[in-house]
Amino acid sequence: MSMGRISRRQFMVRGTGAMAGLITAMLSVPAVGFLLSPLWAATKEIWVDVQGGPIDDIPEGLPTARIAAVPLGSGPPEPAVNRVVYVTKYQGKLYAFSNICTHMQCDVHWEPSLDLFECPCHGGLYAITGRNVGGPPPQPLPQWVHRVHTGADGKQYLQVANRLEEQI
Amino acid sequence: MQHLILALSPTSVPGTVLTNTVLVGCVALLHVLFATFLIGSCTLVALSEGISMVTHDERHERLARTLVHAWGYIFSTGAAIAIFFVIFVLVGVWGRFFVTFQQFTFWVWFFESLTFVGEIVLLYTLYANWERMRAYRLARLGMVLLLNIDQWFQMFFIDVIASQMLTPTVQGATDNTSYLLQFLNPTNLPLTVHRTIGNIAWAGAVVTAVAAYQYLRVTRREEATALVPGRRAPVRALGAMPEGELVRERNREAAYWDWAGQWGMLFAFGFTIVQIWVGYSYAKEIQLHSLDSWYQMMYGWISNIFLAQFAGLGLIFIFGVAYFWRRLKAASQHLAARRQQIALILLILLWLFGIQPAWFAGSYPDIVAAHLAKPFWDGGLEDPLGFFFPWKVMVLIADMLIALYALWSYVRARVRTPMTMGQASRGSQRLLIAMAVVVGLMMLIMGIIRESSRSPYLVNQNITISHQVILQQPAPNIPLSQRPIGP
Amino acid sequence: MSDRLVGTEVPGTSASDSNGAAPPEEKGDFIGLVPEPVVGPFRRSWAWFDDRTGTTGLLHKGLYEAVPRQGGWAYTLGSATLVVIVVQFFTGIFLLLDYVPSVTQAYSSLLYLRTNDLFGDWMRGIHLWGAYILMLLIGAHALRTFISASYKKPRELNWMSGVMLFFLVLAMAITGAMLPWDQASYWTAVVVTNIPHYLPVIGNGVRTLWRGGDFVGQVTLTRTFALHVWVLPALLLGLIGGHLYLLRRHGEFGSWVNYRTTTDNPGREIAERVRHAEPPYPTRGADPQYSVPSDTVDFFPDQLFKDTLVSLVLVVFIFVMGIISGAPLDAPANPATLTYVPTPEWFYLPLDQLLVFFPTVLVGFGVFVIVGIGATLMLMLPFIDRNPERHPIRRPDVLIPAFFLIGTVIYLAMLGVNRLYNL
Repeated sequence: MSMGRISRRQFMVRGTGAMAGLITAMLSVPAVGFLLSPLWAATKEIWVDVQGGPIDDIPEGLPTARIAAVPLGSGPPEPAVNRVVYVTKYQGKLYAFSNICTHMQCDVHWEPSLDLFECPCHGGLYAITGRNVGGPPPQPLPQWVHRVHTGADGKQYLQVANRLEEQI
Repeated sequence: MQHLILALSPTSVPGTVLTNTVLVGCVALLHVLFATFLIGSCTLVALSEGISMVTHDERHERLARTLVHAWGYIFSTGAAIAIFFVIFVLVGVWGRFFVTFQQFTFWVWFFESLTFVGEIVLLYTLYANWERMRAYRLARLGMVLLLNIDQWFQMFFIDVIASQMLTPTVQGATDNTSYLLQFLNPTNLPLTVHRTIGNIAWAGAVVTAVAAYQYLRVTRREEATALVPGRRAPVRALGAMPEGELVRERNREAAYWDWAGQWGMLFAFGFTIVQIWVGYSYAKEIQLHSLDSWYQMMYGWISNIFLAQFAGLGLIFIFGVAYFWRRLKAASQHLAARRQQIALILLILLWLFGIQPAWFAGSYPDIVAAHLAKPFWDGGLEDPLGFFFPWKVMVLIADMLIALYALWSYVRARVRTPMTMGQASRGSQRLLIAMAVVVGLMMLIMGIIRESSRSPYLVNQNITISHQVILQQPAPNIPLSQRPIGP
Repeated sequence: MSDRLVGTEVPGTSASDSNGAAPPEEKGDFIGLVPEPVVGPFRRSWAWFDDRTGTTGLLHKGLYEAVPRQGGWAYTLGSATLVVIVVQFFTGIFLLLDYVPSVTQAYSSLLYLRTNDLFGDWMRGIHLWGAYILMLLIGAHALRTFISASYKKPRELNWMSGVMLFFLVLAMAITGAMLPWDQASYWTAVVVTNIPHYLPVIGNGVRTLWRGGDFVGQVTLTRTFALHVWVLPALLLGLIGGHLYLLRRHGEFGSWVNYRTTTDNPGREIAERVRHAEPPYPTRGADPQYSVPSDTVDFFPDQLFKDTLVSLVLVVFIFVMGIISGAPLDAPANPATLTYVPTPEWFYLPLDQLLVFFPTVLVGFGVFVIVGIGATLMLMLPFIDRNPERHPIRRPDVLIPAFFLIGTVIYLAMLGVNRLYNL
């Protein structure tokens, strides 16, 4: 079928629609990209020292809270944020737990009277190995990516990276 | 050590620890049946009377009147049991506990007794003057509402006592913990809401059972006369009436009892639905604040009784929805009846899935001790599909939603298309009685579970059952970090 | 006719002319406005302005519209909600003059506001208490509308836009709470931005987008600030405009109390009402019985007086509470705390309690499915309840479940208080 002549009116109607669509598309590309950019932003891995000295003196079976100034590694520059590292030695293994609850990310603390990590928000409980044993948390207590190095004085020092071993 | 304690116990108290506990339990449960019905029926009377004032429906008025007339007998009996329970049984066999406990809950008991004074004044006045006040319906209703408030506080104060026993915030007579803290102990709120809802459910269940029984009785005569033509059945209550009049009277009565049965049933069924998650909130508070009690209930030997409760709950919904189905089918509302039928099938399937036990032994610690805490297909004694979390929780959620939908669908069908009352099948009435019996049983069993889970303590971590004799071993000494506490 | 035009008492013409127009060839070419000589500088200026904008006509249309006489006090809740929203915008502007949305400066900027600006703390207090009162008001307004069946045909969209407004107000409240960057605000930010990650498939993505990464940081604050200060307010304003337009289009208020008939012949009574109906009645699309109220008054001054009185009481209350109680400022945000107990705002207690009840694998179910079902039922109410009856006692199939739902939410909040009190 041959293409018939379209009227002036039809041309203008369709043309307006097409141009409006083009403007929208043009605006959308940077807008959508901008909005979604954090999804593929790479987080720079940065290692920091755990403050409070060497970890040799930390007793077995007693999680000890230490501070590490962990930078975010993404986004605009901002000061590093103090985060808790629960250094735990248990049955020959070393754990560097964060105190971020896997339920709603509230602040978890070690409760000596229960022999468990406890989260005050909704009563989540974790064993000393980090396993989630009570309450709503669906995953074990996450550890920071960590490494130990021996200092000049022969003692062990702990370093953590600015990411967790498992995403929570 | 235990023998030494036994040897030191006074010999003037009759019975052994076990028999005394059983005695207290029996009297308490009997008391519960009466008290719960009274408080719940008070709310039902207020509702019924209020509705009759707006819609001028005489059936509501009659129901309110019948309940008020029943109060006289029930309150007298119930109060006698309560007084007998408190004075003779508690003081007599658990005297040490009662006296010690009273010392730091004195004012609670004081206000509790004041509410009894209020109840006597209001209830007997209403009982004696219900008819006389029919020209002053608003005042009458006001008195019923006052009685409601009075009775709710009566329950509230006893809940303070009961929750203090389970999750105490006051540690002894010299503890200066404020009254606010006593009242706001962790389990008081969920217990109070649980009992408020339960009162209404039980009252509704009693109403429905009595109505169903009366319906069966009234329609039985009809059957009797139909079987033997010409023979007039003895009709004591209705007096000597001509045959036609008799039939009309009987139909009126049948219609009324049919309606009353359905009315009460809606409350029993509807409030039981709410009880599921109110009860869950109560169990959650116990888990957070009295872990040993919770552990005994969910993992100890009491868990078997709890499983029976779970089965009973499912039965209530099955009976209820079966009733809805039969009524709608008999009223030829086939689409609505089909919905009920589907709901019924789903509920039965869920029930069958939900009643499987989580372990094939007396209690969980037993199988832990025998190193058999693994699935039965791995050689152990566990059934992972029977665990409360997440399987039974999901069954409960599904039960709630299906029962809610069934109830709503039924009420909607009834609102849209008026149903002729008095034509119900006898089977449907038997379903009502069965449902009411299960509701009552569940109430009693819940009491048993509650009290047993706290043993050997009467006040948790504080006062044990009298004479400091350990009735049974508490939950075994599995360290907290290794217990399957679960969510 | 209640149409009173400024300075247009023209002797000799009938005031009952239905559209107020004077015969053009005699009185000039202004419709509705007779150009009598205007004296005085103020009146002349106003007349000049009015000629060009048509303000007086608009005002009259708005003020002298017919509203039902009965139930006026119950209907003040809607305008009270609007007034409190305006208060929020107003105080928000002043807070904006000082607040800096930066993780390092947010807290100190609010301290500055507190100590250096006269009435700075009071402004912040009004903003907080305004938010609290707004929650209660919007709930009460929704409840009143529900009970009075004002959501029935043709006002369904009114209800639905109202429900969307309710959700927007909740969103405003929670994003606002995330801004001060004290302990309470920081942990609110952590918990609230964590909730979306329980959504299937897109959950992690949504959380990352909002936070700007894995952890809460500067990007989170900036995005939340943008949401709170212009994205949500723009949506709010747009929906409010639509809500008010629909209200005026269909006429207030749709409740059953306004449509009662008193005579033995209700059909004739209704026909009479329709014949004498003043705009905006009869409501197009409504059942004849519910199309014209039995008795109407002018919006101004009758209803507006009631509205203003209720608004005054509430504004006074907010102002007083703003001074006495004010808005708290905790210690500065510290992610490394071991002792702080994050506590939700009171209007989020029900959701928090759901988080306790639906643990591990059921978190997503509790937070999204249960809440989603509730929200959907609320939104779709006009389509669930198609019963033409408007009296509450004849709508038990809707009222009873609704009260159980409301009771459930209140009980959840009470459980939350109970739990936090006993921690």
